[in-house]
Order: sequence, then structure tokens, then C-alpha cells
Amino acid sequence: MSFDVLFNQFMSGIARAALLFLVASGLSLTFGVLRVLNFAHGSLYMLGAFLTYSIWKILLLPSVGFYIATLLASLIMAGIGLLIEFFLLRRIYSRGWPEQLLATYAIILLITDIVKWGWGGEFLSIPRPEPFTGAVSLFGFPFPSYNFFIILLGLALVVFLWWLVYKTRLGDIIRAAASDREMVSALGIPIPWLFTWIFVLGAFIAGMSGAVSAPFGAIRLGMDVEIIIECFAVVVIGGMGSLPGTLLGSFIIGEVYSFGIMYKPELALAFIFIVMAIVLIIRPWGIFGRPER
Amino acid sequence: METIPTEGKNSLIRRLWWLVLLIVAAIMAPFFISEFYLTILGEALIMSLLALSFNLLFGYMGQLSFGQAAFYGISGYTVAMLITKAHFNFWLSLAAGVIVAAVLGLIIGFFCVRLRGIYFSILTLAFGQLIYFVIYKWHDFTGGDDGIQGVYPPELLNSPINYYFFLLVVFILATFILWRIVNSPFGYTLKSMRENSERTEFLGISIARYQLIAFIIAAAYAGLAGALWAPFYRSMAPSALFWLKSAEPVNAAILGGPSLFFGPIFGMFIMTFFHAWVLAYTVFWAFIMGVLILIVIFFLPGGMLGFAQEKLKERRENRNNLAKGQK
Repeated sequence: MSFDVLFNQFMSGIARAALLFLVASGLSLTFGVLRVLNFAHGSLYMLGAFLTYSIWKILLLPSVGFYIATLLASLIMAGIGLLIEFFLLRRIYSRGWPEQLLATYAIILLITDIVKWGWGGEFLSIPRPEPFTGAVSLFGFPFPSYNFFIILLGLALVVFLWWLVYKTRLGDIIRAAASDREMVSALGIPIPWLFTWIFVLGAFIAGMSGAVSAPFGAIRLGMDVEIIIECFAVVVIGGMGSLPGTLLGSFIIGEVYSFGIMYKPELALAFIFIVMAIVLIIRPWGIFGRPER
Repeated sequence: METIPTEGKNSLIRRLWWLVLLIVAAIMAPFFISEFYLTILGEALIMSLLALSFNLLFGYMGQLSFGQAAFYGISGYTVAMLITKAHFNFWLSLAAGVIVAAVLGLIIGFFCVRLRGIYFSILTLAFGQLIYFVIYKWHDFTGGDDGIQGVYPPELLNSPINYYFFLLVVFILATFILWRIVNSPFGYTLKSMRENSERTEFLGISIARYQLIAFIIAAAYAGLAGALWAPFYRSMAPSALFWLKSAEPVNAAILGGPSLFFGPIFGMFIMTFFHAWVLAYTVFWAFIMGVLILIVIFFLPGGMLGFAQEKLKERRENRNNLAKGQK
């Protein structure tokens, strides 16, 4: 196998890793601060994709329609995140992990049927937006330029989250709350509102990643659970709640998937799970994570 | 049980009169209800075994599995393929299904029992979906999307009523055996791991080994449900392994009450009949389930049966206190 084929596959893996990072970073951020695993994160992603489709269709603006739709859909998802946190999650932070997991799982069921009711069971698609409609040549192979958009967006999110978590006062609070919630609360910082805004940010990121994933492939029912399992693999490998861990996990899963598809398409998913199972057994808290308790 | 004094035995009968009543009702049912509801009843019996399988792990061991459908489905496929392709003996096929599920339980359990809490849930979900994709994509071997049709039980069990009685006997036997298991020292060890795994470990108990045994038993029970399902429904489809199938016993246990042995069975019966009834009016079943689960989590912690029991206990205590006060 020649170098150019491998390089092309590697770049596809990077694009996939960037999309995975977009979705998984929101999941990881929420878990890092709230200590609640949001099972419904993939559902917010799916709803974001469907909303983007509808808004894009209503707008009918050929060049900028997609970007406006993406922004609007992300904002709507942030609003829905606000409702979910305020009315549901807020009441169960003091309960055990099973109740928290089951509550977010119930949201998956709700959103599945909301999507089925609103959009039906068809596959929908959005064409790639300007100026990313074409392909660029990478060593003679066509590489969709939209992939570069995803990669750039992923990098932008990495920089933004890094800045937010490590360079701002809010970031100081986030990191402090992740390690000792009670102490932060004792310092007079309103933890409930911190939690709300972090969840809203997570929902915004989920909606945005769903929106930009739309031109990648089909918008359809079931994309929620597919992505959430891959995201679980990402955060489990990297370490729940760790930003560098999520980045590394996305890279590993993206590349494993990309090369797995080249080797044997039916088994691409199996390779991901094998990597995840190995990491879980050697280091259950992930490469960059901390053991609980 | 041999050492129970007569007084205890009497109170046992007094405590379990409702069980006897239910069994009598279940035996009489086919003569009073339509064939449609007999099918639903059979489905409820089979799915209750899956719910018991889930709750052995969740209610007794404190581990929430989102992957029980893998064992259910793999067993169903084993039975379906042995009967339709190899023309294997029906009874041996059922046994083979359960054994295949248990072996898969050993393999998957080996990885999963090292983990706790959400990590266990994540890995069971991932393994479940992995098995689903293998069955779904391996078209040459499993029929993929098309599934397998024409899985007929032997002549004797061909009529719905006969198959129903067969299900009932297997269900009662299997439930009784599981009841004995959870009330054995083994069952108490599982419970102690749920309550305080560190302390249990200090007692010199190997948590991983006990959890693996429980995981295999649960896989075998899910396998039994799948093995009974294939000839009951006359076919198998990949959707039997999809994660939403794994969610059904989760829903049933939460609705019924995971802390009680009969909670998941109660939940599954309510769910199955409600589902059959509500489908005439709406297809948005998942939405209804989501709302019900949220209601139970927020307002009925402990599930319907658990909540009812709690209320009964309160009333009895109030009555007792009142009686004491009058004296």
C-alpha cells in the first residue's frame, strides 16, 4: 500500500476525529463539571441536525443559509438544554447515578419520538455549503474541502475550550468545581447556575456539531445513539471530563475507524469497541482521567 | 428451606396467597381471553424473563446493563438457525440457544464486571450494539435485514394454547429457580456488593468472580427468553438485538420497582399490555415510555410496586400505632 493512500485515509480519520471532538467535548465538559453522564447528548446532536435542515429549507439562501441555520439551531438547542437542566437535572443531582443516567435516557426516548413526529422517518440531507462544495487534491486523491471546514471548526473549539477552561475566571471556577464542589459553593459561587450554564454550553455544542454533521451524511433517526456510543468510546479512552483526553480519544477513534473501514468495512465499529475495551481494562478512568474517589 | 418451622411455612402460604391466585388465573386465562390477548400474555411471560435477567444485575448487584438484548438475540438466532437451517431437534435447539447466550455472557462479562456504575453501562451498551451490527451486517450467515422466517415449534406446541402452557411452565420454573438463587447465600453476597463493595471485598469475597457468575446467569436468562421467543414469533429479526430491545427490561424494572423480586415482572406485564392497547391510538410509544420513566423517577421512587408496598407498609404501621394508642 502506497503512502498517498495511507495519507488520504489518515486525513479522513482526522476529519472524523474533528467531528467526534465537536460532539464529545460537550459531553465531556458536562460530565467534568456536573458529574452527570448526559446519555441524551447524542439526541441533542440529532435534534440539532434536523432543526438545521428545516431552518435551511425555510431560509432558501444558497450561500449563507447553512451557516445561519447552524447558528439558529445551536441557539435553539441551548434553549432546550436550559429547559432540561432547569426542570429535570437540577432535581436529581443529589440522587444516585442510576437515576441520573435513567433521566437522561428518558430524554433520548422523548427526543426520538419528537423527531419522528416532526420530520418522519425519512433520510434527509443538506448539500455542502459554499465555499466548501468542491474537493481539493491531496497527492492526487480528491479530498472534500468540507472536511477542512470540520477540521478547522474542531480546532477552533479546542482553542475556545482551552481558553475558557484555563484562561478565564469562569474556567478557574469550572476546574475548582470539578475537583471540590462544596468548597466552591462555600466561597459564595452559585453552583446551581454554574451547572445550568455549563449544561447550556454543552447543549449548544451538541446542536452545533449536529448542524455541521448534516452535510456530511444523511440526517436520520438513529444517528443519536450511533454518535453517543462513539462519543462514549472517545471519553472513556481519553478520560471523562478531561479536555486533552477528549482530543486524544477523538484522534484515536477517528483514525481507528478510518483505517478500520479501509481494512474491513463491516468491522470498523468492532475495532473501536476493542480499543475501548482494552483501555477500560488497563486504565478504567481513561488515559487522562482521574480515578473516582 | 427444609429447616423452616411449621409456623413459618404457614406464614409463607399466607404471604404468597396472591401468587397462587395469579398462577390459577394464568392457567385459566386461555379459556377466557381472545387469541390476540393470549399472544400478548405469552409475550409478557417471555419478556418478563428478560426483565428478570436485567434485574438480577441491576436490582441485586447494582449494575445497570444496557446490553441484555445481545444475549436475548444471539440465543433467538441460534434457535432460529438451528431449526430452519440444520433442522435440529427443537428441545436441543432451545438448550443450545441458552448455552450460546451463557458463553457470550462469559466473554462479555469478563470485560464488563471489572467496571462500576456508568462505565459498566457504557461497556454493556457498546458490546450490545457491536453484536447487533455483526448480526445485521453478516448477511450471508444471518440473513441480515431480512431476518429468519419459518421457525416452527414441533407439532405438539404448534397451537397457540399449547405453546402458551409450555411458556407458562418454563416461566414458573425459571422464576422459581431465580428466586431460590437470589435468596441463597450467593444472592445475599450480590446484594452486599451493591450496598458496600469495599466492605464485601474486605470479607475476602472476590467481587469480579461473583459478578461474573451473576452476569453469566443473567445472560442465560436473557438467552432463555430469546430461545422461547423465536418459535413463539416464528421468526427472528436483527431488531431483537438493537439497543432499544435492551431498553425494554430497563423500562420494566424501573416502572415496576427494581428493589423487589416481582417488580420487573409486574412492570413488564403492565408495559406489554399497555403497549398492545395504546398502539391502536398512537405510534409514539417511546415518548410515552420516556414520560412514564420521568414520572417514576421524580414521583414514585422505587417503582409502582415498590411505591405501593411502601404505602401499604405505612398504612399497616399507622393502624398498628393507632391500635397501640387505643390500648
